[in-house]
Amino acid sequence: MGRTMHLAVSLNLAAATRQTGLTFAEIAGFVRKVEAAGIDMIVISDSLTSGEPSTSPFEATTLIAALATVTDRIGLVASPSTLAHQPYNLARRFASLDIISHGRIGWNATLRQNPLEAANFSRPEGFSDDDFRRRAAEYIGIVQGLWQGWDADALLFDKASGRFHDPDKMHFLDHKGEFFSVRGPLNIARSPQDTPVLVMSGLARADLDFAASVADVIAIEEPSPEGARATYDDLKKRAITAGRTLDALKALTTVFAPDLTAARLEAWLGTENCDGLIFALPADLSAINGFTDRIMPELRRRNFARSAYAGTTLRDHLGLGTGGAK
Amino acid sequence: MSARQMKLGLFLWATGHHIAAWRHPNAHVRAGIDIDHYIKLARTAEAAKFDMVFCEDAAGLREANVNIASQTSRSIGFEPISLLSALAAQTERIGLVSTASTSYNEPYGLARMFGSLDNLSGGRAGWNLVTSASPIEAANFGATGLRPHADRYARAREFATVITGLWNRRAAGHDGESFSVRDPLDIPPSPQGAPVMVQAGASDDGKDLAARTADVVFSAAQTFEEAKAFYDDLKRRLAAYGRDPDDVKIMPGVAPIVAATKAEAQAKYDALQELIPDDVGVALLSSYLSISDLGRYPIDGPLPELPESEGMKSRQALVIEQARRDGLSIRELARYFAGARGHWRIVGTAEQIADELQARFEGGAADGFNVMPSWLPGELDAFATLVVPELQRRGLFRKDYQGRTLREHLGLKRPV
Repeated sequence: MGRTMHLAVSLNLAAATRQTGLTFAEIAGFVRKVEAAGIDMIVISDSLTSGEPSTSPFEATTLIAALATVTDRIGLVASPSTLAHQPYNLARRFASLDIISHGRIGWNATLRQNPLEAANFSRPEGFSDDDFRRRAAEYIGIVQGLWQGWDADALLFDKASGRFHDPDKMHFLDHKGEFFSVRGPLNIARSPQDTPVLVMSGLARADLDFAASVADVIAIEEPSPEGARATYDDLKKRAITAGRTLDALKALTTVFAPDLTAARLEAWLGTENCDGLIFALPADLSAINGFTDRIMPELRRRNFARSAYAGTTLRDHLGLGTGGAK
Repeated sequence: MSARQMKLGLFLWATGHHIAAWRHPNAHVRAGIDIDHYIKLARTAEAAKFDMVFCEDAAGLREANVNIASQTSRSIGFEPISLLSALAAQTERIGLVSTASTSYNEPYGLARMFGSLDNLSGGRAGWNLVTSASPIEAANFGATGLRPHADRYARAREFATVITGLWNRRAAGHDGESFSVRDPLDIPPSPQGAPVMVQAGASDDGKDLAARTADVVFSAAQTFEEAKAFYDDLKRRLAAYGRDPDDVKIMPGVAPIVAATKAEAQAKYDALQELIPDDVGVALLSSYLSISDLGRYPIDGPLPELPESEGMKSRQALVIEQARRDGLSIRELARYFAGARGHWRIVGTAEQIADELQARFEGGAADGFNVMPSWLPGELDAFATLVVPELQRRGLFRKDYQGRTLREHLGLKRPV
């Protein structure tokens, strides 16, 4: 048995090159193939950070709601930005998705600004990098706080006494900060996996302390295995400094599957000090087939891939405990 | 079938619309955390050929008093856009309509959400525009207080203009009082062109906005006369915006309780009413009247004189009129109101219920009805198996879907 490698696939639907958009049935087919390969999670994006318009017919949070009903085990992660939703609405959407999927949901919070978004969301002046970062940190804290507003045993369902829930197990957030004030709580029950998984990506150097203190998963985006290893070590040190255990944060390295020759795959897999890999795939059938038919056998040969899912929730797959910075 | 037929919506509400529904022995008490419950309800409605399922929404708790809240099932439930997206993958024909607020969303973001739901469902999505009257919601969005009624509607008008412009591919670029949008929508149109626009506001501002922008209007009316007056008023307003009376379908809410005999139906209703705790009934009534302390008046006395509130103006008038007309005490009104929240209740056999619906439909007071089962799944099953076949037998409701999109079900034009 090899060491546990967490394997994820990332699909950017916005970058599909076809003229006619992907159908839901095609995307569901991709995700089921990846699920059959035993992958921990699939990360779905519906917009580009290049400033070009998306070609996706679907927005990612609505898409993963539908995907949750046609899959059983795979984790489903969507990547809406902190500009496109109010924090209460985003926290609520993901809490709802987590109940729909029986605990298989994650939010990929990117700290990279999409230059298109501010202009379409009534903020034509945009945000400075520093304001964007402080705002995103406050936003993520609110979302994680709202996800913990109801205790897991708050619902009583007691028809005879007429007590539906225990009011002492419902908690107001009462957040008042620089950018937001949010009273809470969410009007939705606690997640079956405690809280949705917080994935963070698009990190600049200045984001690393914050990300290492709150994220469940961090996507390392470095062009070389050596750079990825250095960032991994750095993140784990910061997590320890923030008082977390090594296992509480999974740092996964993003690799671009279409560029992978056998030698390059070997170099990435040989990386020590890595919790796993995120394979970034174009959203088309040949790329999905290439992944399941060419890359997966290499991973299996090294005992890096699981033969079957052991648990049912995304936190189970990732070997994470309960969520959120306390 | 050339004769005019009524439209039917299923107004979803976790355990049912009656405030004590969750305590009913056969109600599905875990409804608010069980997606399979909702899939079954949607499929039942689809098998009965309903035009749509409809979710109302609030982004926050519904009761300010945490003790009262804990005696109802309304503090937890699915967020409706994710819920309907899940249902889109598990149904084929039925329309999927969700409420979303113009106060706590941006038009570009909501255009993407509903555009995506419309694509996921093959053209079955609808958006119910609300301006959000609750101070509990406002506190979740950085607001220090609820915006005045007129301001909320000014924002809603601008929101509706922007979102329909995005959906209908009109020239991009908007720079207005509340919103600015630079680019065209990046989600392509569905087979029905754009999501169906729904509204329920019954104030003067609300009716005017509906006449400008809505395809469907949900309303609340107790009597035939109220329903007819609302219907005529709204249809009359359409001409000012160059629209035909048929361009908007008016669907009042109805809360039926059906059984094989009238006595059996009445017994079902009485049993539900007995499950309402007095403090919960009074709190619910207070909340709809937008006053916080109805509990300080004698519960067996009459409703006091009430000032006009910034909340639901039109709903308030309806409830007060009901109380005065019937000489009801606070307790009686609270119980009556809790059952259907000011909507029209009919207790009877399938024939009696069909008679009542037919009278309003043929009397020019409704184009269809938004059905509000008292408890779930039982009262939906009863309506689907008893009342729908009776309506079909009379030629008042379709026996099968003719089209695939919600616009086709409703007989609406494609947007331009």
